Amino acid sequence: MENPNPNACGVMEGSLPGKCANMVFPYIPMQSNSTERYDQEQALAAGTLFPGLNLPFFRAVKSKMNCPNNALCELMALGFTITELGMYLDTHQNDKEALALYLDYVKLEKEGRKRYEATYGPLQQTSVTAAGYTWLNDPWPWEAMDGGKQ
Amino acid sequence: MFVYEKRLEYPIKIKNTNPKLAALIISQYGGPDGELGASLRYLSQRFSMPYPELKGLLTDIGTEELGHLEMVGTLVHQLTRNLNEEQIKAAGFDAYFVDHTTGVFPQFASGTPWTAATMQVTGDTIADLTEDLAADGAMA
Repeated sequence: MENPNPNACGVMEGSLPGKCANMVFPYIPMQSNSTERYDQEQALAAGTLFPGLNLPFFRAVKSKMNCPNNALCELMALGFTITELGMYLDTHQNDKEALALYLDYVKLEKEGRKRYEATYGPLQQTSVTAAGYTWLNDPWPWEAMDGGKQ
Repeated sequence: MFVYEKRLEYPIKIKNTNPKLAALIISQYGGPDGELGASLRYLSQRFSMPYPELKGLLTDIGTEELGHLEMVGTLVHQLTRNLNEEQIKAAGFDAYFVDHTTGVFPQFASGTPWTAATMQVTGDTIADLTEDLAADGAMA
């Protein structure tokens, strides 16, 4: 019987480049400890905290982030860095330097939230005050033309 | 438990509407490798993960994917603001519009509604992680 797939490998055969490929063994290198990091604004603009993971699409134009340095953008940058560091810590729980940095950013983010909320209103429903139920105030995030207040 | 934070993960400010683009971007919302599938995939796979690192990672990634879902929904919403009948027809947005007007519906770019058939939860650590590689690799 004719081989229905002439490019398929025989048992224990196959290499690339060539006519056929081995079965695939996905290999994901481990991210090392104490790895190089961007600062929080660069991280938000690049979409990663780690230069080693910054692999833009081929010929991608350099990201131009339209985010002036206001309370919201500052909070977004801190929030993104905390998200990134948090996931790094999930797989590097013994990296003391990263943990210390994480705690520093969490502290900065708490201060940043206060600054943002003082001007723009509650970030969470529970941040409303006795002054009034401002949770429903427009704009909601998807409506905002600048990602914050219009 | 989840608590809503009234801000996007990344600023989105679209000046010009573009329903044609919205009809493609909707696939990143509810398409076969979109953010809805991503968040449900990770948040569902975590229950059967035996390792603390993976329980944490799937919880944290799945949560962030919900933030991505909100951003993609925002893109579609802002791209389809204030359209008139002529613009809707000219952009080929009429097929979407007749069912959903300018609501944001989780569907493929081809119109198929989002379906859990595009994701898998096997309860097997390696199988689930391999499936995650395939799903996330599809978007890079």
